[in-house]
Amino acid sequence: MSEPRIHGIVLGGVGGQGVLSLAQIVLEALRRSGLHALQSEIHGMSQRGGSVHAQVCFSEVPLSSPIIDEGCANLLIALEPLEALRYVAMLRMDGHLVVSEEPQVNMEGYPPLDDVYAALKKVRGCHLVDTEDLARKLKHKQAGGMALLGMASKFLPVSDAVWHDVITDRFAAKGARVTEKNIEAFNAGRGLVQEAVGV
Amino acid sequence: MAQGTLALGVEAVGCAAFDAGIKGAFGYPGTPSTEGFEFVEAMIQAEPEGRVAQWAANEKVAYDLALGVSYAGHRTLVTMKHVGLNVAMDAYANSALTGVRGGLVLLVADDPGMHSSQNEQDSRRLAKFAWLPVLEPSTVQECYDFTWRAFELSESLQVPVMVRLVTRLAHCRAHLVRRDVLQPTGLGVAPKETIQDWVLIPSNARRRYVDLLAKQPRMVAELAPMNRVVAGTGRRGVALAGMGRAYFEQLALEHPELLDMPRLEVAAYPMDPGLEPVFLGLVDEVFVFEEDYPVLEERLTFQRAGTIHGRMDGALPRTGELTPRLLKDALGLRTADGKAASTLDLPIRAPRFCDGCGHVDAYEAMQEALQNLGLPGTRVFGDIGCYTLAAQEPMSAIHAVVEMGASISMAVGAAMAGQTPSVAVIGDSTFGHSGLPALLTAADSGVNVTIMILDNRVVGMTGQQPSQALDQVERMVLGMGIPASQVQVLTPLPKQHEANVKAMEAALQHPGPSVVVFRRECIQSLRRGVLKEHDQELKACAEQACCSTEARP
Repeated sequence: MSEPRIHGIVLGGVGGQGVLSLAQIVLEALRRSGLHALQSEIHGMSQRGGSVHAQVCFSEVPLSSPIIDEGCANLLIALEPLEALRYVAMLRMDGHLVVSEEPQVNMEGYPPLDDVYAALKKVRGCHLVDTEDLARKLKHKQAGGMALLGMASKFLPVSDAVWHDVITDRFAAKGARVTEKNIEAFNAGRGLVQEAVGV
Repeated sequence: MAQGTLALGVEAVGCAAFDAGIKGAFGYPGTPSTEGFEFVEAMIQAEPEGRVAQWAANEKVAYDLALGVSYAGHRTLVTMKHVGLNVAMDAYANSALTGVRGGLVLLVADDPGMHSSQNEQDSRRLAKFAWLPVLEPSTVQECYDFTWRAFELSESLQVPVMVRLVTRLAHCRAHLVRRDVLQPTGLGVAPKETIQDWVLIPSNARRRYVDLLAKQPRMVAELAPMNRVVAGTGRRGVALAGMGRAYFEQLALEHPELLDMPRLEVAAYPMDPGLEPVFLGLVDEVFVFEEDYPVLEERLTFQRAGTIHGRMDGALPRTGELTPRLLKDALGLRTADGKAASTLDLPIRAPRFCDGCGHVDAYEAMQEALQNLGLPGTRVFGDIGCYTLAAQEPMSAIHAVVEMGASISMAVGAAMAGQTPSVAVIGDSTFGHSGLPALLTAADSGVNVTIMILDNRVVGMTGQQPSQALDQVERMVLGMGIPASQVQVLTPLPKQHEANVKAMEAALQHPGPSVVVFRRECIQSLRRGVLKEHDQELKACAEQACCSTEARP
């Protein structure tokens, strides 16, 4: 008998970018796909523009630890390129990164952007997304998060139908138009990864 | 009907309290406990039916409110963070002697690793100090189930019961299965023949202390099913509690050989002292995995020094959060190498003041006033809130932050010791929490102290909860005995900067106590419209010249 596999997703970004709500969407989508999932988040003063990260673990068996150990995550979803670099060591050798190219410079000493991109491109399995350009094309300022999620969805065992249901429920209170725009962004992101790589 | 829902660990406690039929929920915001109250508050607002949910001015007030509900015969929940229990300690320790009528459950969220706290004290120690039971869940479902159990225990043992969470569990979100909801029926007010139990004059208190100690064996007996020894084939064992138990169980999924280790699993205290010898009889050495202080470890070490490994013998770090990695390292489990960390230098992205935050304007006025008066090196006593961010470089505007309300008293003490002018900075909610008695003493002292009250009209840091001091700050200040001539109300805006600097200079130069209120609503709450309805009502009231206008000084 082989041991059950435990999968880990790390989500990183800057306070106010929506890291925690993205994590909640992922958690709910996994749960609706019949998996056991836990989400961990650290906040407090995080909405004040500091680094924020959340983790989601899932498996076919019930889990009890919400924390992913270094080197054990399968996927990193980062809403900001510098923040992505903080969590690279969380990933397994064969792990993937889905990263927004859009920097949030609200701090002293932000390294030259080219150095940040170069460091990310050195990491195997890194998928950079020009969320700014995508948002412009979709005429939807906040498209970035959903597009990243769409791209990340290629690496997660959740069907399109479930993703769409969860996103629809999430934005139901904001009306059909907002839901539509978010699903459009999700689909656009999903289209950016050519081959599906299941975990 | 039983149903499923997604909830954080602290929310699961709030949800269970609602389902177990509480009449009232009380608390004071503090990370990582805040969402526990907010969850049950939302449930109560949706289905009030005589239930109440009320943020209190501080944790002690919250606890006493809950004790009153219990006295009246109803179940009640009170929530706070670990350092909040210090504030409520007088009420908590003495309620052990009075006992309870309706079940009273205290949710305390500890913060090992100090993610957003000033210490990492372990509330299990405070429960032991008060001779009271504490339950320690390790999963979100246990948060829910243990809270139900805590209400039953509270009523059967007639004592308050603590449910202790730590940050990782408090902020772990998972699927939760609920039980059928009980309506708040109530047992009726504490009966006449028990009145003397509630009156802690020395003659009664002596008797009640004996009663409390006499309850200990019953507590142990009733909690016994929550703790157990699991036999194994090896001679190396583990003692597990809280997240230590959660992490170990998950590691055992990937390393089933771990289940050969004999285990002592603890989820409730006081624990049966007979359990430890049974466990120690099975093993030659023990690793103790518990979150925060070495509570179990100390007990085991006392019985078998030299063979117990944990925080005390250096097998685990003495401070900070427990992690799965620490368990792996201690147990010698190998992890496959992951990706290499980035070699690029990654500067810290620290939390900072929001753009347009009024606190920044207030601090700038203070710093310029001190500069103008030739007092640029003046030490300033700060307090707990968003405005604590001013302690960081480059602002470095406050030079001490200890605990809620300390700013005013420390500034008065320093002034008494000759440091004048002395400056305190405190937020409106912290002022209502524990600044009031300090201000009473400040007014009485007559020393040269300038107290800045940064009134952003909400509890900003924890998520813009309502501040109990809303619209009351000047009246409170005057009521504490600060003369009206020494109370100024300013608007912290860049365009008011010059006037604010002048006002601060005048306050600093006044030889006695003076108060400067900087009032402007929190940017976050303004954006969310938290006070919109309140302010519309206030405006309507003012137009009709009714209550709220005469309430203003």
